[in-house]
Amino acid sequence: MTSHGSLFDIMGPIMIGPSSSHTAGAVRLASLARNVANGKVSRVNFVLYNSFAKTYQGHGTDKGLIAGLLGMGVEDEGIRHAEEAAKAQGLDFRFTVWEEANHYPPNTVRFEMELENGETLTVIGHSIGGGKVYISRINEYNVSLKGEYPTLVMFYHDEPGMIWRVTKIIAEQNINIASLTCTRRDKGTEAFMAICLDSLLPDEQVEEIRRIPHVYTVHNVDKITS
Amino acid sequence: MNKFANFKDLLAYCETENCSIGEAALRYEVSLGDRTTEAILQGVQTILSQMKDTIQSGLLSEEKSMSGLSGGFSKKVITFVDSPTAFLSPLEHKMMAYALATLEENSRMKRIVACPTAGASGVVPAVLIALAEEKQIPPEKLQMGLLAAGLVGEIVSRRMHLSGAAAGCQAEVGVATGMAAAAIVECLDGTPQQALDATAISFKNMMGLVCDPVAGLVEVPCVKRNSVAGLHASAAATLALSGVYSFVPLDEVVDAMVSVGRMMSPKLKESAEGGLAQTPTALAFTEQFQKKEK
Ligand code: SF4
Repeated sequence: MTSHGSLFDIMGPIMIGPSSSHTAGAVRLASLARNVANGKVSRVNFVLYNSFAKTYQGHGTDKGLIAGLLGMGVEDEGIRHAEEAAKAQGLDFRFTVWEEANHYPPNTVRFEMELENGETLTVIGHSIGGGKVYISRINEYNVSLKGEYPTLVMFYHDEPGMIWRVTKIIAEQNINIASLTCTRRDKGTEAFMAICLDSLLPDEQVEEIRRIPHVYTVHNVDKITS
Repeated sequence: MNKFANFKDLLAYCETENCSIGEAALRYEVSLGDRTTEAILQGVQTILSQMKDTIQSGLLSEEKSMSGLSGGFSKKVITFVDSPTAFLSPLEHKMMAYALATLEENSRMKRIVACPTAGASGVVPAVLIALAEEKQIPPEKLQMGLLAAGLVGEIVSRRMHLSGAAAGCQAEVGVATGMAAAAIVECLDGTPQQALDATAISFKNMMGLVCDPVAGLVEVPCVKRNSVAGLHASAAATLALSGVYSFVPLDEVVDAMVSVGRMMSPKLKESAEGGLAQTPTALAFTEQFQKKEK
């Protein structure tokens, strides 16, 4: 909270109402989930928890989630008609209401997605007020992803030299690294790395990183644009 | 560049640089390094235009919200100005009607500017646009007013989350009121000290305001609360401009709000478990509404 924010976050954003956390937050969270999935979602079950579960229709949280997954931004007037847009674009959606989950923040959604290539992807995310969101889980892995920067998220077997190999590929593209977080369960087990970048890494380099031995999964997640 | 750790810091900066809070705000935003002065002013103008568009479409509409709880009140207030019983000036009627118009559009899922949040999106636009129309404030001045409001909100946001869930409605409509009061003083060429006194006076009166939305929706009491808050900001600005100052400095007032926010029961923080949300009328509506939703 002590960081210096842009005044445009206070006198803004321009958005579709009625709620920063329940409507704009829902759109932003779903766009981030869409970015984790690289845009190609064909079916989704939105599992809603806590406050999202209680008042999702009155706040347009349902429309916001669908709209975000379709690629709409927070100020898109199409949000009001998101269900129709989903039908037109062939996105099959449903909602599951899970009233209480004390271990989650008030506004939580689990996106159970099926992608166009048949793979499944589960993402858990939270809307924490003022349109700010974060994703705390991708499949079975814990993460912390806010969508403020294009971010390369990867899971790999903890090996010496992994950070060097990956950052070398990024440096060769002349892309600046804004921050790098690395965690692992135990020495020599599974590790997680999140690299925030100044611009999105091209697909070719993402493939190159995927081919590094002992890399399990890589998600090249773009930032939220609105 | 000074990043204004607190309001005292901001005031000292304005005094040494001999600039207004709006100008300090502009320099602050430039110092973040993402936008040029020109781009910032253009962005501010886009926001002002959206605020105006929302007010205009809201005033014309009598459509109800999805829940049926709100819609159609702004028109009543704006036409009441011509009635023989009206006792406030057109400026005040506009402030009240414009905030209603904005919140009513918000509840219809139309486009608004969160300022600082969607639930409190009516106060700052109502005050700025009504003032511009009735007191002939030029666009450049209005931009400075909005920037001043933005900086006030930003400095508060470093000490408390601006959401009803975190600290009650004092953090939403309360903060918007203090932002609007500073904007009025800026537009009317008051001093930075007067602007911050206007904010302090607003906050002192908004402190402790609870978040108790009926059925958890951003409608009752939010819509009318925004409407009255514009007049509240105007009263605080009038006091400050006439030379009345706050005994407790603004930074300490904000600290007090933060501590009140912590003491506030979670039942009064957006959960709809207390206040107006638990009145018999609210509960009856909630039951009916939830049946309809399922
Ligand atoms: S009562 Fe709660 S929901 Fe309504 S404006 Fe205030 S903080 Fe927002």
